[in-house]
Amino acid sequence: MRALLNSALEGLDVPVKVTEASSGFEALRCLPREPFDLIVTDINMPDINGLELVSFAKSNDAYRSIPLVIVSTEGSERDREKGLELGADAYLVKPFEPEHLREVVVDLLARDVQSE
Amino acid sequence: MATRDSRSRPGRKADQEFVSEAEEILERMREDYADLDDQRAAGGEVEPDLINRLFRSAHSLKALAGMFGLESIQDLSHHLEDILDGLRLGRVPMDSPCVGLIDEAIHTFANLLESVGNEEALAAFNEPVEELATRIAASAKEVANSGDELQSLEIDDALLRALTEYEEHRLRENIRRGRHIMLVGSTFEIMSFDEGLSELSDAIRSIGEVLSTLPAPGETPESQIRFSLLVASDLTLSELTESLDFPDADVQSVRVGASAVEVISAPVEVDPTPQAAAATEMESLRSISETVRVDIRKLDELMNLVGELVIQRASIGEIAARLVAQRQNTQIGIELSKIHKSLDRKLKGIQSAVLEVRMVPMRQVFDKVSRVVRSLRRDLQKDVRLEVSGADTELDKLIVEELVDPLMHIVRNSIDHGIETVEERLAAGKDIQGCVRINAFQRGNHVVISVADDGKGIDRTALFARAESLGLVSAAGELTDREILNLVFAPGLSTQSQVSETSGRGVGMDVVRENVMALGGAVEVESTPGRGTTISMTLPITLAIIQSLIVVVGKHRFAIPINAVHETLLIETSEIQRSEGREILNLRGEPLLLRSLAEEFELGVSRPAEKQFAVIVGLGEQRIGLLVDRLDGQQDTVIKPIQGPLKNVRGFAGATELGDQDAVLVVDISGLVDDALSRKDGA
Repeated sequence: MRALLNSALEGLDVPVKVTEASSGFEALRCLPREPFDLIVTDINMPDINGLELVSFAKSNDAYRSIPLVIVSTEGSERDREKGLELGADAYLVKPFEPEHLREVVVDLLARDVQSE
Repeated sequence: MATRDSRSRPGRKADQEFVSEAEEILERMREDYADLDDQRAAGGEVEPDLINRLFRSAHSLKALAGMFGLESIQDLSHHLEDILDGLRLGRVPMDSPCVGLIDEAIHTFANLLESVGNEEALAAFNEPVEELATRIAASAKEVANSGDELQSLEIDDALLRALTEYEEHRLRENIRRGRHIMLVGSTFEIMSFDEGLSELSDAIRSIGEVLSTLPAPGETPESQIRFSLLVASDLTLSELTESLDFPDADVQSVRVGASAVEVISAPVEVDPTPQAAAATEMESLRSISETVRVDIRKLDELMNLVGELVIQRASIGEIAARLVAQRQNTQIGIELSKIHKSLDRKLKGIQSAVLEVRMVPMRQVFDKVSRVVRSLRRDLQKDVRLEVSGADTELDKLIVEELVDPLMHIVRNSIDHGIETVEERLAAGKDIQGCVRINAFQRGNHVVISVADDGKGIDRTALFARAESLGLVSAAGELTDREILNLVFAPGLSTQSQVSETSGRGVGMDVVRENVMALGGAVEVESTPGRGTTISMTLPITLAIIQSLIVVVGKHRFAIPINAVHETLLIETSEIQRSEGREILNLRGEPLLLRSLAEEFELGVSRPAEKQFAVIVGLGEQRIGLLVDRLDGQQDTVIKPIQGPLKNVRGFAGATELGDQDAVLVVDISGLVDDALSRKDGA
């Protein structure tokens, strides 16, 4: 899934730098290291779940404004809704086409630029 | 990888690749399902990881089938994934009938795998697969979870909001089980929180369940991170705090278990109240501390010593009696006799205590059998349910051990040969699902274990023909129905012309009978064509010390285990009737076959002219009368197996020492009765 996301994002028109985190814990450690423009997270992770990551990012002043995309499976509408309630900006349902991800990302980044 | 075009099916090699991978997944699913079935049957909580694993397996199978373009497998695994997801998230209750369909789906997968590579065979499955998928979808009725009980928890809303559906379900489930819900918090350095947090989580996992791990900014958000772990445990707040021993962690209660649980409506089965659950738990903890495990060999040793004491006690009794009879020693004799009596009482106490220790319930064996039945159901594709009763009936540990194989064999036979296929049952107008009932109960000093199936019964004609072809009977001979049925115990006989993998070759009912008889028991068979077959084993409760009747024939004494003796009669020789070379006694209107022990063992002694004793013996239903000269009282006997060249002599179950230190042979009643009833002529 990560490789898929990676290649999809690298296919964007604007060059982006993608940092991969293999787990929720790793994501938490990555966050303070550099200013990110976008977070894409799965809901099912081995240590903390994606909702908890969203909750953490949205409750922390330093990361609150980073647009956040959650990825979930078809059956987990409820988790998806909760993610949006927690402040996630968009969601993707597995399996999705790389093109769809690129559309969502471009849209979010454009919103981000506008609001600045 | 081979071509990915879903319309052109991949080649043979790819098929094999798929089948071997899919089989691995299926095997895991089978194991997990068996565990799930056990846990559900035991009425306890089903381990959440078990359902998660099954769910992942179904998911993997779906993905794999999708990759190889196998639509029917992909479709079925998709439906299976759905119900497993429902179960794992608590949307579908564990007692839903759809759980049974998991097993059915696993079978269907196995069938489908066999047909991979054969388009036509696969296509034949389309309809049944679709039908099963429909049933799965229809049976997985979802229940709505009310969020109320979670809202009433004294808990930070942020934590609740970040719970996934699965975590919410686990929280509900733990509340329902009456566990204590607590929040464990600790702050870590953001760059190095992993180790400390993992340590904390692992420590909690050993005493409870970590329901969720919510990160939050620490006091200095740039360098610190705080984790709140939602925990469910049987331990109370103080117990958990104490056993955790993490000075930096703070623990607070979110919900106290056991109390207030009754307000929560339980949509699924009603559990024992938490208080009761806690009480049983206390009890089981206590019983652990009061139980010791003992090597069965030590018990054997103890039993042997008690056995020898029993014999010596009898010797003392005899000496006392002799002394009393001698005029000059009468007084000493009476004193010794008093001591003998008190010794007798105490020995009886020890004896029964040791015997009791050796007793184990049949449950252990029945559990094994039910596991075998489950795998048979799968392998033989027969719809069978197992009903068990009398699992608490107790038997000597040694007998129980020896009983496993015969019982397993009988049950296998019932399912393999007795229970018909679904088509056959339908045609016969029977319930589609066959039934095998195992029942154990105590009858006097015996335990009877019967295995009854509602299958097709034993085909007498086929059985007879088979026995004839093996030269066991001649067509000319007329056999009674019972005699024909007893042919199932003849060596090398199976009515099924093709020996199946399940019931196997080699070990047949003859071996079952041999094993049971070696334990001093008997096997009987009853069968009604079209209705089913019942096989009953009658076994002594213990082999250790048994009461025996001592009989005298000429100058010889023999011991007959008292539990095989129904009654003894003194009869006039004139009462004995002769018919077709047999000796018959009219016993309360029923003809009873008589056998002279003197003739049976060719002792060469003439019978008493006028009166003799008839000992009515038999295990199970069959009886005969043994003619002897005299009865010489009852004694406790410890039966020892006969070793050496005499080992295989028929008619004897072993040897025992008597109170006067004389060794006598113990009559093998079961063998003798069978022998007498199956012999045609009176010779």
